Amino acid sequence: MFWGIFFVSPFVLVAAVFLLFPIAYSLYLSLRETTLYTSWFDQFGQMKYVGFENYRRLVTDPVFWYSVLATGIYALLLIPTTVAASLWLALMLHSKLPGYRAFRSAFFLPHVFDVFVVGIIWLLLYNPQSGPFAWLFRSLGIDWFTKNGFVDNPISVLPSIAFAMVLKGMGFGMILFLTALNNIPESIFEAADIDGASPRQKLFRVTIPLLRPMILFQMVTGLVGALNAFSEFYALTKAGGGPAFSFFGSTVQSARVSGFHLFRLFDESYYGSAAAMSFILLGFALIIAWVNFRFLGKDNTA
Amino acid sequence: MATEIRRDVRLRQWAINYAILVPILFVVQLPLMWMVLTALKAKGHGLELRFIPHAGEALYTFDNFMSVLNDPSFPFSRFIMNSLIVASGCGALTVLICTMGGYGFAKKRFPLRDQLFGMLIAVMLVPGLIFMVPQFAITAKLGWMNTFTGMIVPHAANIFGLFLLRQHIRQLPDSLIEAATVDGAGEISIFWRVIVPLSVPIMITLFLLTFVGQWSNFLWQLIVNTPDSFKITLPVGLSYFKGQYSLEWERMMAGACFSILPVCALLLFTQRFFMQGLIAGGVKE
Repeated sequence: MFWGIFFVSPFVLVAAVFLLFPIAYSLYLSLRETTLYTSWFDQFGQMKYVGFENYRRLVTDPVFWYSVLATGIYALLLIPTTVAASLWLALMLHSKLPGYRAFRSAFFLPHVFDVFVVGIIWLLLYNPQSGPFAWLFRSLGIDWFTKNGFVDNPISVLPSIAFAMVLKGMGFGMILFLTALNNIPESIFEAADIDGASPRQKLFRVTIPLLRPMILFQMVTGLVGALNAFSEFYALTKAGGGPAFSFFGSTVQSARVSGFHLFRLFDESYYGSAAAMSFILLGFALIIAWVNFRFLGKDNTA
Repeated sequence: MATEIRRDVRLRQWAINYAILVPILFVVQLPLMWMVLTALKAKGHGLELRFIPHAGEALYTFDNFMSVLNDPSFPFSRFIMNSLIVASGCGALTVLICTMGGYGFAKKRFPLRDQLFGMLIAVMLVPGLIFMVPQFAITAKLGWMNTFTGMIVPHAANIFGLFLLRQHIRQLPDSLIEAATVDGAGEISIFWRVIVPLSVPIMITLFLLTFVGQWSNFLWQLIVNTPDSFKITLPVGLSYFKGQYSLEWERMMAGACFSILPVCALLLFTQRFFMQGLIAGGVKE
């Protein structure tokens, strides 16, 4: 018994201090706020108890609700596209294409790059004058992006960031789908062939239903990722949260997603509000994960 | 006859797949290519949409890399050193405590063992941002601001890593441990001489995943370092550099190369371990 505790104690100690305790501490902080008189060196020690004031202030703040809406739009742009694109790539590579391994590595490569650094590179690719995408649209006779930019106007900023992140992330989803595809016995496809199923029928009636657990897994992890998204926005909006526009009477920055808003609260020393916001987001994550499992996870036989 | 028709169909299918995959691959690799080409361009040419030099013109140069490495106010060579220390330090510590913990949870008995493990697994579902404010408060309280310790220790308890090692060690036969006990090996030497050698591939996988993750951990390294810190890592250094010289794209991309290209090389040589870890992670659900 002593040795069991001996071996797990280093991990459990670090986890207790930096993972378990923080959950409780976060709840405690969410009921408090920093005061004007707080000493800079002891900001957390001198916070004042304010009850549910932080939560109340957040849910009545249009800027907070906009950040939730922006995250929702971003997640809708990002997650279905990434899942569909990675499934499509996986299906194409799964046909035992020569060069399979090289393709697999090349598509996977950007997944391990630093998100922040990739974001900065995209700032260059999205340059309205000298970037390749503006050039492409110009040659197609569309100069809207040359005039308005990609990440410099409230309309295209979220789709542009989502596009960059789809390209970065789809290789990872592809690998997961390839693994799942390899686990499907060949005999199932042969049986479908014998029954005279068309390729389309095979895809929608056999392959996709069998991949449902993997699709669900990617939807849920993608959602948690969207709620935590920060670095790509920090890089691509030049740390400003994107172009401003008016939302229900408040000026909001169009790319101020929840992760970015939370960072701003933190950066401006609203530690109580930041903690409260992280709990509201946890609530959203749990609800959406539950809805996903409820509707996508039905008759989960695989 | 039938097989020949089949082969024909298959060849046509492959041709179509190539025609689709190659352009997509080009777009996927565009940021990497653009970064390298911009980093190689001479000062002032970073925002020009052309890649072929005029006659007699020196459009390409290696100067940006040198100038970025030796910049007195943004010493990239130090940022790289700091990132290496943080990423490999965190990798080593994570592997050590996850292997010890994995062994303890897999093969040892103690009260509430399974409840404790279950609780840790549940924590994995909590979005990371919940931890940020308290982790920052604790790190500040411990006096770990602007230190390597502050960047390494708070993220070392990698629950996914613990899970990975526990699953692996659990399927090692108990008879190996019993045989070592009969030979008179103590607990510590069983761990080092039996468990560790048999877990090396998983340990390498976990080390690499942690290394790459921490090499790119921008947000945490940004908040535990004040702007005047000597421990600033590569992504944080790059973000300050961007704030200062936002128009010098050639030098900024040279800085970006120092972040991206080592990861490319690492992945190229250690692909097998990466795939193994990802597959183990994806299939667990």
